[in-house]
Amino acid sequence: MIEFKNVTKEYPPNLVKESKVAIHNVSFKVKPGEFVTLCGRSGAGKTTILKLISCEEKPTEGEVFFNGKNTYDVKKSEAYLIRQKIGFIFQDFKLLSYKTVYENVAYALEAFSFNDKLVKDEVMQVLELVGLEGKNNCLPKELSGGEKQRVSIARALIHRPELILADEPTGNLDPYHSRDIAKILLKINESGSTVILSTHSKDIVNSLKKRVITIEDGRIIRDEENGVFSL
Amino acid sequence: MFNSLRKIIKNGWEGFWRQGFLTFATSLVIFIAVVLGTSLFFFQGGISYLISEIENKIDVSVTFQEETLREDILKFREELSLLPEVKKVEYISQEEAYEVFVANNQDNQFMKALELLDINPFLPSLRIQATETSQYQYIADYVRRSEYKDSIAEVNDYKRGATIETLKNLTESIQLLGISLTIFLSLIAVIVTFNTLRLSIFSQKEEIEIMRLVGAKNGFIRGPFLFQGMLCGLFAALFSFIAFTITFFFMNEGLKELLMGFDCLLFFKENILIVLLLQFAVGVGLGVISSYFAVRKYLKN
Repeated sequence: MIEFKNVTKEYPPNLVKESKVAIHNVSFKVKPGEFVTLCGRSGAGKTTILKLISCEEKPTEGEVFFNGKNTYDVKKSEAYLIRQKIGFIFQDFKLLSYKTVYENVAYALEAFSFNDKLVKDEVMQVLELVGLEGKNNCLPKELSGGEKQRVSIARALIHRPELILADEPTGNLDPYHSRDIAKILLKINESGSTVILSTHSKDIVNSLKKRVITIEDGRIIRDEENGVFSL
Repeated sequence: MFNSLRKIIKNGWEGFWRQGFLTFATSLVIFIAVVLGTSLFFFQGGISYLISEIENKIDVSVTFQEETLREDILKFREELSLLPEVKKVEYISQEEAYEVFVANNQDNQFMKALELLDINPFLPSLRIQATETSQYQYIADYVRRSEYKDSIAEVNDYKRGATIETLKNLTESIQLLGISLTIFLSLIAVIVTFNTLRLSIFSQKEEIEIMRLVGAKNGFIRGPFLFQGMLCGLFAALFSFIAFTITFFFMNEGLKELLMGFDCLLFFKENILIVLLLQFAVGVGLGVISSYFAVRKYLKN
């Protein structure tokens, strides 16, 4: 499903920063339905890998393939077609504070020409999946951190993506809620979606018992099935 | 397609009302730009009025000797009116000249002197208006060389035309300055509107990011912001039109005095469709174009 072939990404210098090699000569493959954890310290290059997959960035060297298509060849105006196949989950949730839980999740479906009835059915279904039934009229400020992240997951799932990219989804949560989110991600993976989780949480990595790619200073130093956190 | 359009309008409408102060600030900036544009349109109208007033006040006045036959003067008038340099020739008989003098000098010392004379001292004349102010000298020379030259008592000082020409050139320079000012101020209006809208869109960058990440097309993301910009422009144009209407209806007399007789209300009524079109085009155009460029920054990747 995803293939990185000798990918290097270097950010050019600007007024305040020198040029920086975010990832260096990275190669790996992710099969459909796989659950992969990208593990590494802050600044190791995990987010850059996710951005390269979602066509937010283009590699400086090497090739990134998504479903067999070289993302380098994807025009800016066509990047949305790739993103429609991806669900994003962020550390800071990225919820719209003035919209209710229902509206935040439904907002993601506005990009698709669904009618209101279908949107309602889909939203209620996905809210039930993440355990937020009954919270659909709440505003984000009325929710706990864990609940906010569930809304974020619901929004990522609403358009039934092939791939879930979760960038430090437990970074702002306590251990109890972190494990909760990890369980939901496993559930999503079991339903058939490919999941790539970026994290530096030892507990989460060790509890998942899935494939772990460890990154340090932009290079892959370990790639093991049923891996553990080892930094 | 229809569903997408409905959602674009709905999101744009919600954004317009939700942003409160920023919407007000954007609309206010566009309002100022529209008022500026409209004022400059009226300024151009006023300058054109001034030029035409100046042109209408200039003439070459040819006074004939008392014994000159009316038929001869009328024949000469016909001859003059065939000249391409001549716009209009008016015959003023002795009686008409007397009546005009009486009307303009009621109860003053000149009138008393005239009453004492008990005769009509005025001579018949032709009042000639040229197509261009620069042609007065040619017309005056033509009159002096004509076959009626012996019947002519006086050709008034045609050098006045040169002075008027200078005045006209000055007015035209003011008009040119007005156009330059229009372009310059419009540019400032575009920059200020663009920056205000950019600030407004900056506060909604999270929506843009979310929409991008869920795979919305750029056109779908941009749509609500363009609609929002259009709404700001529409409101600004509407309020500007109301402001101009009220100003002209209630302050026209004062403005007329201030603007050397230029009737703003009449000009407004005569050009109401152009004013409406101008205001809505400037308002909506500024709103939509500025929104387009302001949102483009967030859609680049």
